[in-house]
Amino acid sequence: MNSSGVVFNIQRFSIHDGPGIRSTVFLKGCSMRCFWCHNPEGRHFQPELRYFPGRCIACGACVEACPNHAHELREGVHTFFREYCLVSGECVQTCYPGALELNGRQMSVDEVLEEVLRDRPFYESSHGGVTLSGGEPALAGVFAREILERCHAGGIHTAIETCGDSPWHSLEALLPWTDLVIMDIKLISPEKHLRATGRPNDRILANARNLAQTDKPLLFRTPIVPTVNDDPEEFIRIASFLKSLIDTRASGNNQESDAGGIAFELLPFHRLASDKYASLGMEYSAASLDPPTKSTMCALAEIATTLGVTTRIR
Amino acid sequence: MESALPLQGIPRSPSSLSGWTYQERIDRLRTTKMRHTEEKWQVIGSMDMDDHAIILPPADSRQIVQVTSGSGFTMTDVLLKEFIPTSNHPSGGFFGAKACGENFRTLLAMHPTYVDPVSSLAGGYMVNFISYRNPAWNPDFDFSHLHEDHQKYRLHHGIGAVQHFCQDMTIGLELGWGGILEKIRRFRGINTDGEAQELYDGLEAMVLGIQDWIERHVDAAQDAAAVESDPHLRQNLNEMADINRRLVTDPPRTFREACQWMLWYQIIGKMYNMGGALGRVDQFLYPYYERDRREGVLTDEEAIFHLACHFLMDTSYTQLGGPDETGRDRTNELSYLMLEAAHRLKIPVNVGVSVGRAIDPGLVRRGVEIMFSDKTGIPKFLGVDSTSEGFARNGYPIELGRQRAYSGCHWCAIPGREYTVNDCVKVNLAAVFDVALREMISDTTIRPGTAELSVRFERHLRRSIDIVRESLDFHIDHMYRVFPELHLDLLCHGPIERGRDASHGGVEFYNLCVDAAGLATVADSFAALEQRVEQEKRLGWDTLLGYLDGDWTGPDGERTRMMMKNIPRYGSGGSRADAYGVEIARMFTRLVKEKPTPKGFQLIPGIFSWAANILMGRDVGPTPNGRHSHAPISHGPNPDPGFRKDAAPTAMAVAVAAVQPGYGNTAPLQLELDPGISRDAEGRAKIVDLIRTHFELGGTQINLNIVDRETILKAHEDPAKYPDLVVRVTGFSAYFASLSPEMRQMVVDRIVAEE
Repeated sequence: MNSSGVVFNIQRFSIHDGPGIRSTVFLKGCSMRCFWCHNPEGRHFQPELRYFPGRCIACGACVEACPNHAHELREGVHTFFREYCLVSGECVQTCYPGALELNGRQMSVDEVLEEVLRDRPFYESSHGGVTLSGGEPALAGVFAREILERCHAGGIHTAIETCGDSPWHSLEALLPWTDLVIMDIKLISPEKHLRATGRPNDRILANARNLAQTDKPLLFRTPIVPTVNDDPEEFIRIASFLKSLIDTRASGNNQESDAGGIAFELLPFHRLASDKYASLGMEYSAASLDPPTKSTMCALAEIATTLGVTTRIR
Repeated sequence: MESALPLQGIPRSPSSLSGWTYQERIDRLRTTKMRHTEEKWQVIGSMDMDDHAIILPPADSRQIVQVTSGSGFTMTDVLLKEFIPTSNHPSGGFFGAKACGENFRTLLAMHPTYVDPVSSLAGGYMVNFISYRNPAWNPDFDFSHLHEDHQKYRLHHGIGAVQHFCQDMTIGLELGWGGILEKIRRFRGINTDGEAQELYDGLEAMVLGIQDWIERHVDAAQDAAAVESDPHLRQNLNEMADINRRLVTDPPRTFREACQWMLWYQIIGKMYNMGGALGRVDQFLYPYYERDRREGVLTDEEAIFHLACHFLMDTSYTQLGGPDETGRDRTNELSYLMLEAAHRLKIPVNVGVSVGRAIDPGLVRRGVEIMFSDKTGIPKFLGVDSTSEGFARNGYPIELGRQRAYSGCHWCAIPGREYTVNDCVKVNLAAVFDVALREMISDTTIRPGTAELSVRFERHLRRSIDIVRESLDFHIDHMYRVFPELHLDLLCHGPIERGRDASHGGVEFYNLCVDAAGLATVADSFAALEQRVEQEKRLGWDTLLGYLDGDWTGPDGERTRMMMKNIPRYGSGGSRADAYGVEIARMFTRLVKEKPTPKGFQLIPGIFSWAANILMGRDVGPTPNGRHSHAPISHGPNPDPGFRKDAAPTAMAVAVAAVQPGYGNTAPLQLELDPGISRDAEGRAKIVDLIRTHFELGGTQINLNIVDRETILKAHEDPAKYPDLVVRVTGFSAYFASLSPEMRQMVVDRIVAEE
């Protein structure tokens, strides 16, 4: 039981992805293309090259190393031609200043466990644990399941962060080894969802309903993105959907996800990801968006509360 | 008398019957302190050390000089130009107890008084006696036989070290100055040998000088009261006069009097040799607090105010909470009130909160709350279980370990019973490594390699520690005849009774501190050599030496430097550099504990550079970890900034816990956290868990800064715009604007690299 998968980051002392002090394992690959995505490094399933021009010392080592002529040095200036890059990683080996980085590497479950277990004493003292994020963990198949299973068997609290856009059986397969499911609900209106994320949302909402039928602690999150879902009309739909999920549970409890309830959080959109897009050669379509104001966030939380959904702003 | 502030136009609280609320008084005193601080920036410039709460002397009495601090920094200092010490030696210096005591008494006689009508406590210090010591060392005691090795290994060897151990304040609180004088005179009749008589001359001169100085403050308070128009301030001044009239001779009776007595002792210590660690104030002041509260003559607000008045004039190190000898927690109301006083002041004070299995967890929780709300790097956190259990490994009962009080940047000492030279002795691992590396590469009879380098590094490390042993013996042989510990002697068990200075057999325990510095620099250098030179064979040893000699210049120099730097580094977790870190720390610990000094004094290892990692870096050329010539070496036991992309505090906490020497002296973890990390109680609880877990893993102390990137970068650009910004530099905290550009850069690098 030591499968492997592509991991683009393991963040220790992760404190916003579930209870306590955690390590978050970011798995590569997601079906959605939310234009504001905070983790664009997680979109593609395969590793890709990141380039940080500010770190380049124009030594030309990458020009020598690249078998596919993706790098050029002209008059002391380095240019990277992404279209020629086959992600052999050979340039990365020679780029000591770190201007070229591989985004994502194949790791075995053992390797992941070795890294996340370093902080085990902190999980124990803080009731924290390990969170699988992405990308989309439910699309990482047996790799995700084995990480969760091994952690769970070792007494480590496990969580997954999912966008919900996977076949139910993929998500369901992770549940026996998952102590907390953190799931995004971005939009309810189908056409808006398709426009903003590139994917329909019927499967996502169905998965959310299925999760509500279980007794699994659930934390739903809505990233508040201006022009996408910060209008009261759309937000009322989101909150009402949440209310219907909460009502599904016998307890009707939405205070504490830990206590078998369904919790709800709002996350303000931010622009901190813009450098990530640049390094990946991706267009950042949310560059002109301003983060929602505190008053907008509070007003939305108030709407949710009025509808009977206790809400926390992150 | 130096006038503290103009008395007109002071804001009053309309609701307060007594005219002033305590908070208004604290705010006013804080403004005065800022004024003093800004004046120091103008006159002295940067101050890369504890704030010490020194006040500049009156403008017409100032003589500005360049001196070398105890830590080796060249600094500007201000002397009282009226005072010229009397020399007793052809070198022009003054040496020995009598000369030091008498000169100090003369200085006190000329030292201006300081009475602030808003404060409840009189006194403030304006001049450093040690800055008059020229030469500081008596040339008759020649240690030129050690110079070559001191230079070779760039040792901070400890010869001439002052203070850095802790008095027992209860001796003074019980005896008062009159009682101390009586005790000196009594033992003068018992110990009649020359060394004792000389010591008594010095001690007596010091006490007489102190009594006279306090008396002058009585007059100053009365004079100020006579012209004070505000009836409440007048009453306060009269109270100060009354209290101090008694305290010239008598021991304190009330909480306020005890605070006043403690302040006199502390500022005299600062003035004499920057000494005067506070230790466990919440314990020795508790009987006064408890009695006054019981009798209804003290409120908690008033207690906080007196403590704040103390902190404004003395920023010394104090431990809050912690176990008694039996291990039972002694956290009390005063522990919380002291924390509150620091919170209300928001100035650089050095309070440390005890954290341990049996210790009230509320104290660390409150400490973290204050840390996030004030963002001043205060308090720091003390792993009392690791330090007391570690101390027991030196062969002492654990009960003694629990008595050790936190009283300096990174150190503890048994109040009044232990001489330590804590924080004064540093083995610069990077310098030792450089010697070993160059020796190996120049040896044509062997094949260079990291295994061979490790053997040579150990040999030179052993030699450097042997030199430290010899140096410390030399120090203990002679220091009492150079610059004895008169101030600390007064409140130690033994010096007066035996007629011996604390540095020369006066106290019961001698546990001499030896710290390693530059751990990450050397661990990363070993790992870089192993990976790049040995395994990958990217360059040869001679080529490497060429780059080091040229400070990474040449066509491929920067790229090679990056290559050596860009390896899995110490702190990243599971790397070769991590393994080297542990191996070097163990090697250092083993070598220090291998044997005592030739004269039998025990050594205790720690890992701490203080802020001297900048100074120590200036002594070392480029190192194979990609470090440039003269750049700072790594700080304390910390990984270098940029050690991991996520800069995970847990990764740092695991790494630093793994390199603890484990004999009771510390290897403090320095953490910089963004304020966004903890916006609510849940977030703060995670920080508490982080702290507790580091200590459970064996960690000994945590220095923590909560600073956001933007603020620190703006403040670095224009420090004057952020006069209030307090940061924890290392074991001490300071106004950011008071630091030299180099020291500010070190703090900025840590914070920015960890984003």
